Amino acid sequence: MSMVLNPRRLDDVVILDLSGRITMGEGTLILRDRIQKLLAAGDRKFLLNLADVDYIDSSGLGELVTSFTTVRNHGGQLKLLNLTRRVQDLLQITKLLTVFEVFNNEAEALKTLK
Amino acid sequence: MTSGGWRSFELTIPSRLEEMEAVHALIAEAVEEYSLNSEMAHWIELTISESMINAIQHGNKADPAKQATLRISSSGDAIEIIVEDEGKGFTLDKIADPTDKANLLKPSGRGILIIRSFMDEVDLSQREGGGSRLRMVKKLRGDHGADPQ
Repeated sequence: MSMVLNPRRLDDVVILDLSGRITMGEGTLILRDRIQKLLAAGDRKFLLNLADVDYIDSSGLGELVTSFTTVRNHGGQLKLLNLTRRVQDLLQITKLLTVFEVFNNEAEALKTLK
Repeated sequence: MTSGGWRSFELTIPSRLEEMEAVHALIAEAVEEYSLNSEMAHWIELTISESMINAIQHGNKADPAKQATLRISSSGDAIEIIVEDEGKGFTLDKIADPTDKANLLKPSGRGILIIRSFMDEVDLSQREGGGSRLRMVKKLRGDHGADPQ
């Protein structure tokens, strides 16, 4: 199953609900394209909800990093929400947990983006 | 092909990412043959996928005239995976550490780390006549692998 991305908005925060697989190719391009369009439209606060992502490869991890740096370079913030254990393990192995702010509760995450 | 009662699997593909669909299909067959649980199946799929993408992109430079070969076999207490390419080769020790602070925000370079973190053995050698051969072994414990029929 390739990746599906559904955006929703709470005030000035864009929550991107991702599901499926974030892998080299289509999955990473969908995310990159959407983030760039939202940045161009003026959005600066992003929450990636990975609750339904059970498979991510090194290219997918790279795309999360690229999204993070792209948003930060525009003066914005990008945080992660609801990691599955497998994705959490990968972020641990690659030490990306030291890069991203990660939340298990959407309301808590939103508070930090206000 | 069988090895000690378990089937072995082999696939040779031209170096195009579109061919990864066949790789995933072969992995699914192997996962079923070896009765791997979902956790083991996930990591086996991820590490094989990473190694084949490395072979296609970095080994063979995505040249479709060059081939990448995958072999999967099991002795019952371990799974052995061999990935071969026709590239110029590389040295595992010379790959930059992606967890180094200077590399953390780079978009690539994490595949070998993921492979090494999951596999029990990872050896890279040069093939006679050119190309690289990556051999990986994952030991099976508990309910990861079932007895052959």
